[in-house]
Amino acid sequence: MKHVITGDHAVAIGAKLCRVEVVPAYPITPQTLIIEHIAEFVNDGEMNAKFMTMESEHSVMSAAAGASAAGARVFTATSSQGLAFMHEMVYATAPLRLPVVMVNVNRSLSSPPGIWVEYNDSMGERDSGWLQVYVEDNQEALDMVIQSYRIAEDKRVLLPIMPCLDGFVLSHTVEPVDVPDESLVDSFLSPYEPDVYLNPEQPAVIGMLMPPQYFMEMRRQTAGAVEAAKEVVVEVNREFAKVFGRDYGGLIDTYRMEDAQIALITIGTVTSTARKVVDDMRNEGKKVGIVKLRFFRPFPAEELRAALSGMGAVGVIDRSISYNGGGPIFSEVRSALYGMTMPVINHLAGIGGRDVTENLIMTMFELTLEAAKGGKVKEVIWHETRGETL
Amino acid sequence: MFEVRFHGRGGQGAVMAAQTLAEAAVIEGNYAVAFPFFGAERRGAPVLAFTRIDSGKIYSKTQVYTPDCVVVLDDSLLDTIDVVAGLKPDGSVVINSKDAPTDIDLGMEVHTGAVNATSVALEILKAPITNTAILGALAKVTGIVSIESIEAAIKRRFGEKLGEKIGERNAVAARTAYERTVTGKSMGVKRLEQKKQWLPTHQELPVGGALVAGKTDAGLIGPGSFTENNVSGWATFRPVRDREKCTMCLLCWFYCPEGTIVRISDKGDLMTNYDYCKGCGICANECPVDAIKMVRARV
Repeated sequence: MKHVITGDHAVAIGAKLCRVEVVPAYPITPQTLIIEHIAEFVNDGEMNAKFMTMESEHSVMSAAAGASAAGARVFTATSSQGLAFMHEMVYATAPLRLPVVMVNVNRSLSSPPGIWVEYNDSMGERDSGWLQVYVEDNQEALDMVIQSYRIAEDKRVLLPIMPCLDGFVLSHTVEPVDVPDESLVDSFLSPYEPDVYLNPEQPAVIGMLMPPQYFMEMRRQTAGAVEAAKEVVVEVNREFAKVFGRDYGGLIDTYRMEDAQIALITIGTVTSTARKVVDDMRNEGKKVGIVKLRFFRPFPAEELRAALSGMGAVGVIDRSISYNGGGPIFSEVRSALYGMTMPVINHLAGIGGRDVTENLIMTMFELTLEAAKGGKVKEVIWHETRGETL
Repeated sequence: MFEVRFHGRGGQGAVMAAQTLAEAAVIEGNYAVAFPFFGAERRGAPVLAFTRIDSGKIYSKTQVYTPDCVVVLDDSLLDTIDVVAGLKPDGSVVINSKDAPTDIDLGMEVHTGAVNATSVALEILKAPITNTAILGALAKVTGIVSIESIEAAIKRRFGEKLGEKIGERNAVAARTAYERTVTGKSMGVKRLEQKKQWLPTHQELPVGGALVAGKTDAGLIGPGSFTENNVSGWATFRPVRDREKCTMCLLCWFYCPEGTIVRISDKGDLMTNYDYCKGCGICANECPVDAIKMVRARV
């Protein structure tokens, strides 16, 4: 049944459908609606979960880790400063292999203060061992909450995962969302049953000190789990498509890449707008396509190499900045494409919530086409930034 | 380059000893570095510290594997740790022991200096902290620094931290130990059985490092594994209870941080499990009727 709801509402319904058992929560704009909806579900008896309002985000993630270690299915959500505040516990959760699902509603990190979309918050957790997936519409937001539990709780993975959606552009935008039947979700997602958890019948030590003679192996184990997530993401996507009829492509998605000469790598809601731009440009005979980066962790390096092989040039959109030349996705993409010879151009845009318009995306395509023809194009372009030239 | 490895127990001051030796070497115009390696820090647990001395800047930032000298602050360590591992054949050992070097079996015949540093420390410092006394012995055995430089370094480091008086008293401890140190060749008979370590590959390591009680070739792991860890050798003193004086108030049972005081009958009689008692003395300190005396566990 189609509901006309916000991205935050879709996420909250997703958590409810997954029969989440524990929700430690602390509100922050633009994530607040998620927490409010879940509080209502719990209050109205629609959701049988322990809802805990905590005194800070640091405590939220501590409680989330603890509840997960006790064997519960845990959901929470945060944004921006909230994510930064829980940074320590975010790092604590992944190597312990606790499959917490936490939605991050992307918002800029202070300073300067702002409440609008930028990916610097979640990019800051790049090396924490959490999986990250970015969505382009409210349907994908809901669907990825459901898929996230399947991926995170898979015995080959057992890692926390962070579905990310654009602040306001999705979180506060209503659009039609197909809310699946509870029974359908039940058939797709079984209850979480960990092998080892905090159980008085079988005492376990979880999170003990690891001296140097164990530490490298622990890190290697977590790295292996992130690697293993790649095939699980693909499997879960395939199975989800079978059950629910929606196929998101797995680690990446492509749009009109069959005979494309250049490609733009997009992430989040920019992808959605760019689809229309591609159609318009294709009508003008320009052979452009999109590679939608869905998962940032695990990073789909091989998949990108395969998808971008033969491109005359590649443009990378970054909605965050690493203060070291370009954006974080650009760095990773260029590293993934090492040895391939096409120019790779970084398009910085939409940072801090500035609108990424169709015209702007068209400019990105044009500049990337120019680079493919051997024209002189800057490697890192600050789009629509006063004082910068293209 | 002259490299020293200190073996001690948490609380004996091995780290301060290593640092003070470095300071003494610097006083003599050399370059020196000193650094600790801690396991899980706690009083009584085996600790390592290192000192490197050279005429010019020292670049190596690694642990010491082939020392010129090994210092043993607690001879109970000889039962479990191969203190001479990697020691150069022409190296030396400085050991806190009541025995003469010729009666000490290090598993290697090597130039050794022995002194009862615990007695020296108890006599002069009124506490079993042997780190300054042992430095006096080190000066005598190795000659790498003079006893005068050791005294000066102790006064500087300990004086700054703990006051001039304590600095001077520790220098006296070093001098006393210097004079009482007996040198000779140690015995090289015993072969320490290498304690097996549980070293899983990253594939074998339990998921998330979460351990349930289990048995490995190297012993128990997970909850309850501490029962294999006999720490009776850690104690300098051990509590002895006078059953006549004891009122069975159970304050000692309550306060023992290691749970080594066990109620063994319905009447509530008590027994101290010396396998796990580290001799901290909290029970004696808390006893309201002075029924517990701390006596030397080793002389």
